[in-house]
Amino acid sequence: MRAIATYSIKGGVGKTTTAVNLAYEASRGGARVLVWDLDPQGAATYLLRVRPKVRGGSRRLVSKQGELEGHIRGSDLSAVNVVPSDFSLRHLDLHLEATKRPESRLSSLLDPVADDYDLAVLDCPPSISLASESVFGAADALLVPVVPATLAGRTLTQLADFLDDQVEGPQVLPVLSMVDRRRKLHRELADDLAKEWPELLETSVPSAAVVERMGVERAPVGRFAPRTAAAAAYRELWQELVGHLWPPDEP
Amino acid sequence: MPTSFTLSDVTAEQVIDALVAAGFEVDSPLKVTRTVLDTFDGRLHEAGQQLALVEGRARELVLLGEPGTPPAHLGWVGDPPRLEGDLPPGPFGARVRRAIEERALLPVFEVAATVHEARRRDRRGKPVVSATVYEDISSATAGEAALPALVVEVVEAAGHERDDERTVARLARLEGHQHDGGFVETVAHAAGCSLEGHSRTPTVPLSAADDALDAFRAVLRNLLTTMLDNLPGTIADVDPEFLHDFRVAIRRTRSVVKEGKRVLPTDVREKFAAGFADLGGATGPARDLDVYVLGWADTLALIDVEVSTETAPVLAALEARRHSAHVAMCQVLESATTRQLLTDWQGWLEGVDGVSPHPGAVGPEVAKRIASAQETLLTHGRLITEESPPESLHDLRKDAKKLRYLLECFGSLLAPKARGAFVSQLKDLQDNLGEHQDREVQLSELRQLAHDLHEETRVDADMLLSVGRLIDALDRRRRQVREEFAERFAGYDTKKNRRALRALLAPIARP
Repeated sequence: MRAIATYSIKGGVGKTTTAVNLAYEASRGGARVLVWDLDPQGAATYLLRVRPKVRGGSRRLVSKQGELEGHIRGSDLSAVNVVPSDFSLRHLDLHLEATKRPESRLSSLLDPVADDYDLAVLDCPPSISLASESVFGAADALLVPVVPATLAGRTLTQLADFLDDQVEGPQVLPVLSMVDRRRKLHRELADDLAKEWPELLETSVPSAAVVERMGVERAPVGRFAPRTAAAAAYRELWQELVGHLWPPDEP
Repeated sequence: MPTSFTLSDVTAEQVIDALVAAGFEVDSPLKVTRTVLDTFDGRLHEAGQQLALVEGRARELVLLGEPGTPPAHLGWVGDPPRLEGDLPPGPFGARVRRAIEERALLPVFEVAATVHEARRRDRRGKPVVSATVYEDISSATAGEAALPALVVEVVEAAGHERDDERTVARLARLEGHQHDGGFVETVAHAAGCSLEGHSRTPTVPLSAADDALDAFRAVLRNLLTTMLDNLPGTIADVDPEFLHDFRVAIRRTRSVVKEGKRVLPTDVREKFAAGFADLGGATGPARDLDVYVLGWADTLALIDVEVSTETAPVLAALEARRHSAHVAMCQVLESATTRQLLTDWQGWLEGVDGVSPHPGAVGPEVAKRIASAQETLLTHGRLITEESPPESLHDLRKDAKKLRYLLECFGSLLAPKARGAFVSQLKDLQDNLGEHQDREVQLSELRQLAHDLHEETRVDADMLLSVGRLIDALDRRRRQVREEFAERFAGYDTKKNRRALRALLAPIARP
């Protein structure tokens, strides 16, 4: 199983929509996907029509006796299962701190289900905290949605600086999100980011009303508007990630 | 885990009515064909997976894993995938590739039906349990076998086991037969079709007190079955493992026939030993070239060169030789001589003719043969020095194989754990001897190829230089393997190992 985390220090950049749409496209591309909603707001849980309930709360989940399997729920999508979120996750940092090795706790919770899924998508809250460090320990890659704004590069630099101190950090894969190609500023900022960050993925996700409709439809874009540019972008994003996560000579 | 019901006293409409009454939504009926794909030896099945090409509302590959794990779906266009290279990059292809390796995917079971898909949703609109009703079931694979009239398959969403239990209880009231497993397993079972693939094991169930002639016949019959199973795939060149398994069955047969000198009638041994020696010889060049072509990327890795345009003509030349060798081999395999050999052998094995020169129980006889094979291996191995010619290692490799085949073919007589531990030690030695031999064969083939290519005017200098570098690298590796031999043999020829074999044989030496 490969694990990616949709992560950003900033909020409102499209982490959850990226996580849910990516999970859907991955499932259509032949992957068995586990979405782990780590954000106490539970937006991914809501979009995938799962009851927002962590049985026993996040304290029990990350405790020594905790295990992930009993928390997994089916979703509205055939090959996508979910570990739902609830409000108890707002104390995840505290509960992780009480464990012996907090930075590897999420990874050790994922290990027993690693053979059952091809891809784990960790949808993270916007912060940099102990929970984030545990996410970095579990993820093979951080998928970082970046909106074309003047401070976007700075946010990425902060993250990269933080990860430089980690011995074996995940690869950082920034992806442009909410891009409006009609706006000159967006085009210029996107070009600048690509120059500064060679890791920037080629796919960019457009700013689109159809993405906002996800909350109404409670479904990924590809499910209710498969012919839109946004749906095509998420499909391309999945294809690009396949190249990073499953290189041809490493089955 | 899916649960299935076969129902004979109710109609599909009645089942659907029951489901609707239980709050299920039901889709309009659809004709669906499901073709299960697996390797000849059932590698996906062994790995706990089931791959099927499903043609219904969409055309897709569906890969089922262990019970409780979600199914993987991949839209598919064109012919079903056959070889690992036909599968796309990504997790789906990676899972299948890991299981099948170099083997071809073949259709092993096909079933068609009219399908009614139904599901019950919770108040969030999420399906929590699905029930699929199959009627008008037919199967081209099943032939004339009687198939169930109606099958219902129930699968729960993860975390919703109670919903599943309620549905199963409701369907159980319709008085059908309940089965653990999905629709395909249920129909295949009813049709008497196995999804397990053809067995490759040389081991047959035996007891130490069994009559030796009967036991040898049972072992040889099993090996003949393997040969006959793999012959069509070898001739059709479906994948290289058919020829591999065909040849291994021949070698095992030759070895058992030779070791059966006190058991099998002399005239039978002499006749068939010669026949199978010829058959083994006729299949050797094709297999050597299979190994060469399959291992080409690994061979190039020895000189840090990727499969490239520079070396592509060499690979093309090897492939051409491989093709010629296969054509020549097929002429032998399809000849009247081979047909006669196999028919006569089958006739003798299935008959009751023949008297053993030394009638007795199989246990003591096999114990003697294994002890003797071990003694020969140790004696010959101890005589090998740094100056010994490569042929001495080749001969020792044959000695090791002889011992290994006896341990495998008559393996059911021996304690499994202790046998496994001993075979693992032996395998370590065989790996060294096997690689040495492979490198010898590759060097000889490549040297000949370089001469042949040189005579062709179109060959450029870069390519010949690459071949030269390859020969150097292969020879370096061969020498390295040769140097490692002494250590490997010493690791095998230990007091502990010798004692382990004696302990393994003791219970069958005097049954």
